[in-house]
Amino acid sequence: MGSLFRSETMCLAQLFLQSGTAYECLSALGEKGLVQFRDLNQNVSSFQRKFVGEVKRCEELERILAYLVQEINRADIPLPEGETSPPAPPLKQVLEMQEQLQKLEVELREVTKNKEKLRKNLLELIEYTHMLRVTKTFVKRNVEFEPTYEEFPPLENDSLLDYSCMQRLGAKLGFVSGLINQGKVEAFEKMLWRVCKGYTIVTYAELDEPLEDPETGEVIKWYVFLISFWGEQIGHKVKKICDCYHCHVYPYPNTAEERKEIQEGLNTRIQDLYTVLHKTEDYLRQVLCKAAESVYSHVIQVKKMKAIYHMLNMCSFDVTNKCLIAEVWCPEADLHELRRALEEGSRESGATIPSFMNTIPTKETPPTLIRTNKFTEGFQNIVDAYGVGSYREVNPALFTIITFPFLFAVMFGDFGHGFVMFLFALLLVLNENHPRLNQSQEIMRMFFNGRYILLLMGLFSVYTGLIYNDCFSKSVNLFGSGWSVSAMYSSSHTPAEQKKMGLWNDSVVRHNRVLQLDPSIPGVFQGPYPLGIDPIWNLATNRLTFLNSFKMKMSVILGIIHMTFGVILGIFNHLHFRKKFNIYLVSVPELLFMLCIFGYLIFMIVYKWLVYSAETSRVAPSILIEFINMFLFPASETNGLYSGQSGYTLVRKDSEEEVSLLGSQDIEEGNNQIEDGYREMMCEEFNFGEILMTQVIHSIEYCLGCISNTASYLRLWALSLAHAQLSDVLWTMLVRVGLRVDTTYGVLLLLPVIALFAVLTIFILLIMEGLSAFLHAIRLHWVEFQNKFYVGAGTKFVPFSFRLLSSKFSDDVA
Amino acid sequence: MLEGAEFYFNVDHGYLEGLVRGCKASLLTQQDYINLVQCETLEDVKIHLQTTDYGNFLANQTNPLTVSKIDTEMRKKLCREFEYFRNHSLEPLSTFFTYMTCSYMIDNVILLMNGALQKKSVKEILVKCHPLGRFTEMEAVNIAETPSDLFNAVLVETPLAPFFQDCMSENTLDELNIELLRNKLYKSYLEAFYKFCKNHGDVTAEIMCPILEFEADRRAFIITLNSFGTELSKDDRETLYPTCGKLYPEGLRLLAQAEDFDQMRRVADHYGVYKPLFEAVGDGSGGKTLEDVFYEREVQMNVLAFNRQFHYGVFYAYTKLKEQEMRNIVYRSSSFEVPIL
Repeated sequence: MGSLFRSETMCLAQLFLQSGTAYECLSALGEKGLVQFRDLNQNVSSFQRKFVGEVKRCEELERILAYLVQEINRADIPLPEGETSPPAPPLKQVLEMQEQLQKLEVELREVTKNKEKLRKNLLELIEYTHMLRVTKTFVKRNVEFEPTYEEFPPLENDSLLDYSCMQRLGAKLGFVSGLINQGKVEAFEKMLWRVCKGYTIVTYAELDEPLEDPETGEVIKWYVFLISFWGEQIGHKVKKICDCYHCHVYPYPNTAEERKEIQEGLNTRIQDLYTVLHKTEDYLRQVLCKAAESVYSHVIQVKKMKAIYHMLNMCSFDVTNKCLIAEVWCPEADLHELRRALEEGSRESGATIPSFMNTIPTKETPPTLIRTNKFTEGFQNIVDAYGVGSYREVNPALFTIITFPFLFAVMFGDFGHGFVMFLFALLLVLNENHPRLNQSQEIMRMFFNGRYILLLMGLFSVYTGLIYNDCFSKSVNLFGSGWSVSAMYSSSHTPAEQKKMGLWNDSVVRHNRVLQLDPSIPGVFQGPYPLGIDPIWNLATNRLTFLNSFKMKMSVILGIIHMTFGVILGIFNHLHFRKKFNIYLVSVPELLFMLCIFGYLIFMIVYKWLVYSAETSRVAPSILIEFINMFLFPASETNGLYSGQSGYTLVRKDSEEEVSLLGSQDIEEGNNQIEDGYREMMCEEFNFGEILMTQVIHSIEYCLGCISNTASYLRLWALSLAHAQLSDVLWTMLVRVGLRVDTTYGVLLLLPVIALFAVLTIFILLIMEGLSAFLHAIRLHWVEFQNKFYVGAGTKFVPFSFRLLSSKFSDDVA
Repeated sequence: MLEGAEFYFNVDHGYLEGLVRGCKASLLTQQDYINLVQCETLEDVKIHLQTTDYGNFLANQTNPLTVSKIDTEMRKKLCREFEYFRNHSLEPLSTFFTYMTCSYMIDNVILLMNGALQKKSVKEILVKCHPLGRFTEMEAVNIAETPSDLFNAVLVETPLAPFFQDCMSENTLDELNIELLRNKLYKSYLEAFYKFCKNHGDVTAEIMCPILEFEADRRAFIITLNSFGTELSKDDRETLYPTCGKLYPEGLRLLAQAEDFDQMRRVADHYGVYKPLFEAVGDGSGGKTLEDVFYEREVQMNVLAFNRQFHYGVFYAYTKLKEQEMRNIVYRSSSFEVPIL
């Protein structure tokens, strides 16, 4: 129990690392993950530290690797993920690795660039063919005029010019054609019209298949356009506008023959380009495949290297500059491991002088380390979410393992639901080594991490479900009810007696809607049900009243036990931190206050359960009234709980309690003041006024807190009631409807009804209700339980460990 | 507009205001600047900026690192933030954002026209254009030969169109005319922006109007200063002054008559706001230039804008502050602009 009860003892150690071996030593330490480094150069800015150059080199390597991974992913080559993680590379290998990677990068960049160029070329050619095909339809009507054009042969026959011209009637008829992005068509046309004042004719048509943009690689819709215009001036403007809208302009053929020629030329070029592109891609694939083999280990190695240099940056140099000094927090139990790791590192680097360490005493608070296993981890996380425990403080996680699922189950008490939850958790636990579960997404991951909590929650719910005798809101009659209805009919009495005792006869049964069983009639109540609530209550109309009273009292009892336990744990803390005066002056008054008010309340509850039987139940006093009267000292006589309560023979005991309880408040406040004096004497720098204030506030807060916290535990009752009612509603609304239909159609109806019932049960009752009960259980632990003793002001021990580096490279690189 | 922004502001703009205040917290601090001063190479600057909110924005840049690379990346980052604000904004905040981009658009248009005049290729100049003022029609600017051409053909559909009313002319666009066009555009732009803020009322007006008044007056001073010794006539000069500042109308008339720096200073002496600024200007060697003093004052006003809530000024102030920060980093970086081998 030791390690979970308190955090481990830590010590501050100083490592003297010979500068030649520092890297290897840290590598060995990182593999083991034993120590937490302290930053000794806090006021040195990041670029002035010793190993900035090395870190920079690692970053450069990371950049190259990121590029490689990106290219590999783009080529759809699977990245092999090694199972083992390779150790940080020895310094000698680093240079080699860097060279190799840089060479690879240069090669890759070149091949990719070539490929991109070819690809762009190809795309442009494809666009050109599309344009030719579409524009052919535009000028179809011109075809018949074509002979006219031929009379005026073009002056400058440079088809490479962006637009071809024809001289006619002293002015040139020009064409500009190309492709334009779908979204820009409208603005483009408008601007053309405005600039050229309508002297242009624009025709365009949508291209039926989307093409890739050579610049960005996006696949988008394109429009093919053809602009015809007169005159050179306008031609320049049109060209500029085309540039502005990033149109892809292609030379427009003048004649049908030319068009055909170009088309044929294009087709052969496209064919050629395809083959070349194919070859290039093949080569690229080869290169990438080769790179993909080693990329995983490289990524891990570089990460480790970078981590090592970051740690080295935290060390300080000693005067002679020959060795690095690091300060680390290390658990005392691991000190010899630490020594061994250092030796190992020194041996590996072949250094003559070994690195060594010694522990140094310190006044600083060490970080908190609580070792967990896969079972306790989830519970520790619940506690840590509230606050990481102070160093060597009592760790509530140990008790949370049982109390948490138990309190949850009190709210979630249903045999059937608990069993389903238990099965689900069991499934997770049995398959916990399955790789898919380990890498699952957020919500599933949450369930997976809490699988042991779920398992216990399910188990405890089965137990409380048995106690409540609830299984999908129905009771199970396992042992036979303790109540007998037939006894109410018993004819062994005379009619007069029957009348007096309220026994039933035929007319009573026939005329009354509600019949009452009377336990005081012999034979009706044969003794309590062996386990939990008697199933006969399921039929009773006053079932809720009965259960409410039971659950309410139960939750108060549980709550007070829970809180008292918290206060007692506080005593352990005071003992450990050698603050005996705190026990006498804080814990004991706190306990006294708690037990004298609420402990007495429990006593009254139990007493009433034990003393009053069915016969005397009519004279039993209300606990609530008694409890209030205890404070108010009413003038009027009330019927006491037990004889003499109001001031005769047993009065001593009760009033003693009252006195002590009234006194305890005063005593506590008084005591706290004494305690302040105490501290004052011990340490002069303590500010008396301040401590007085905090203590007064603390005692007021505690007294008020006890009352509100006790009331807060009533949520156990409220939630369990809500859960029971909700499942009851689900049953009556669905399954009962299905069951009431007659047999022939009922079967057909029952199937969907049961399916719906199952789905709703899982989503509403299991997940939704489960979540709310979970949250309330968390709250009860954080607020009501832990504030009695837990400070939670520590810092977590974060060891320098390679295992904490993410071993997957896909999510942070890509 | 209704008064009492606190009642309805957060419904539409609360998210963005929260966001911009968060962004403001990421501005470099005094400590960061101290560290930047200690830097010795661009690499140092990069490493230091990595520890700030800029993060590893330079991670994918291949070596060698240059100032212009840093500058472009920083601008890109600002632009991303601004685009985010703009895309999530509702009216009238989105109009406000449009007004904010207009000043950059004017600069870009002028830059492009100057480039066309010097026969530089459009692509070369496009790189220099501020990304906040980018718009599609921008590249076609060099088609136009006169301001009215420019308006009719290119800019008629852009937000800049309303500012053209004063400067429709058939003058050819030479260097002086372009400069005049810029100032006229700016003048109408500032006046329109001022009017928008004034009409919006509420805290926005209380914050933005002083900032814009200052901006207008600063332009008036700078125009005066720059026109000394040029062929610009005094009447022409007066037409360039934005009329929404504190100097309007007497101060501007006096400024139009000023012939040297001392006369300008005398004009400023009449105004309590500008007197200390001119006093802070060092003479000749050493001391601050007038521009620096104005920058300082602007930054001060922008910082103060964050003291009030429920207004649009924070977006303006944030952008300006971020720009100043970028100027600082570029200034710091360019001092060791030597190729790193």
